[in-house]
Amino acid sequence: MILPRIYPIHDQALTIEFAAAISVEANAKAISLHHRLQSAPFAGFIESVPAYGSLTVYFNEPANNTGVEALLRNLTATAAPEQLLGEVRQHLIPVCYDEAYGPDLKDVEAATGLDRSAIISLHTGMTFRVFMIGFVPGFAYMGILPTELETARKKIPRLEVPAGSVAIAGRQTGIYPAVIPGGWNIIGRTPWKLFDKHMETCSRLSAGDLVRFEPITSETFEQLSWASPS
Amino acid sequence: MGITILKPGIQCSIQDLGRWGYQQFGVPVGGVMDRLSACTANRLCGNADGEALLECTLHGTVITCDETISFALTGGGARATVNGCAVDYYRLIKMVAGSQLQLMPDPHGCRTYIAVAGGLQVPLELGSASTYQPSRIGGLDGQPLAAGQFVPLKSSGDLLPGGRDIVIREDGFGMGNWKAQVQPMPHVKDTVVIYCDAGPEWDWFHDSAKKDFTGETFTISTQANRMGYRLEGPPLSLREKKELVSTAVTRGIVQVTHEGSPIVLMADAQTIGGYPRIARLTSQAIDLLAQCRPGTKIQFREFGDEESVIHYNRIVEAMKMVKVGLKTL
Repeated sequence: MILPRIYPIHDQALTIEFAAAISVEANAKAISLHHRLQSAPFAGFIESVPAYGSLTVYFNEPANNTGVEALLRNLTATAAPEQLLGEVRQHLIPVCYDEAYGPDLKDVEAATGLDRSAIISLHTGMTFRVFMIGFVPGFAYMGILPTELETARKKIPRLEVPAGSVAIAGRQTGIYPAVIPGGWNIIGRTPWKLFDKHMETCSRLSAGDLVRFEPITSETFEQLSWASPS
Repeated sequence: MGITILKPGIQCSIQDLGRWGYQQFGVPVGGVMDRLSACTANRLCGNADGEALLECTLHGTVITCDETISFALTGGGARATVNGCAVDYYRLIKMVAGSQLQLMPDPHGCRTYIAVAGGLQVPLELGSASTYQPSRIGGLDGQPLAAGQFVPLKSSGDLLPGGRDIVIREDGFGMGNWKAQVQPMPHVKDTVVIYCDAGPEWDWFHDSAKKDFTGETFTISTQANRMGYRLEGPPLSLREKKELVSTAVTRGIVQVTHEGSPIVLMADAQTIGGYPRIARLTSQAIDLLAQCRPGTKIQFREFGDEESVIHYNRIVEAMKMVKVGLKTL
């Protein structure tokens, strides 16, 4: 097999897989290619979607599978000019880790053997990478969590997770952008609105962004909350 | 001027060819389930392929208008009457203000497309009019249409030469004298052949699962909606326990859950998935499956044989004819 692996998922969509695993290096390659295609689209290019270790490219006529595959091989074989790589955006996201907003903190304490302050200091103490956005509009898959914070998903998923809930599962962390069902362990909540169909880019976070969490009090949370009346 | 939904029926929503460019933010493409039927309806009306139109699941929809409109019906899942008289699908129809278009039960197909000449006046959200209900994006208020809702039209329906020539009968409507090639709609009791190619994880599956997938018959379960169709049939097992790292999925992907049930992803498919993908449907097969309702039996067959290529070419020719036909009016 020629690497990276390229395969169709539709008549008009190809996936280029840099690694079949969660890998910062493969994800960076996917996002770099994503930026290059957006800055210099080929005829027929529609959009591209980064995932953990892959990029999927959607196109229509005049492009076809054979032509796009050759183009992707060619692009990945050559280094990207710097201006096409896109800037790395950094976000400092406020999170209230009070138990009222983090109903699974107790379970995480029991599962990891850490106390609440240790959990918070680990979660706020490092910069996470947004690997991809998916699952629902605006849901950012971030990582990689330190092994000490690794937890299993909840056995019975919640039917309604409040919007803004900050959660962990496996070695990932994420933020629920809307009220939806979910099985990750909720440890806090951000007052930020992560997805808004009226915003130009609709999602506050993009694949490739860097994120740090900042602990805030419940008073600050109430002041910043988009859900509360202004 | 506009149309009013008197009864939405089982489900009636505003759709177009989808919301492109936002999958990187997790927003599904969505749009019409059966693109071929939707494009045919728009072409019959002289609209662009991407014009917003109504997608009605099965029967029950009743619509009226406050001015004369020209429209076309395609797809299936119902038969139609205007003011109580049967009208044809795949033909331009004109009806006067106050008329009622009604969709009645029929065992063929699953989704009727109603395109109105001139197009629906619907604000675009993230570049599309398509209703994506789970996130309340598009359509009117991001939801399927409800009884009493008014949908304004962009302009008068008398744009088409074919529409101008339609003679209105005493009962308030008339039909064009030209018809597009009718796409045969699967009967609920048919066993429908669905063409597909091997999916990215085809080799992860047990030999018996591969054999069952193309050899056995599957039934569309009641868990079938715009996001996906869950199928009932022999469980499809992997050769060994293996986890797929989440990657992009799209309409037509057949993913297999841990219990071994196949799910065919449809128009509102999420953008990223983590289940092994045994197959991917051809675009034509997706359109055909969109016209199959729960209870219908399907058989997967590998695309590439002579029969499937002939079928594909026939569809391409039919679509060309709709455009050529309109020009000669």
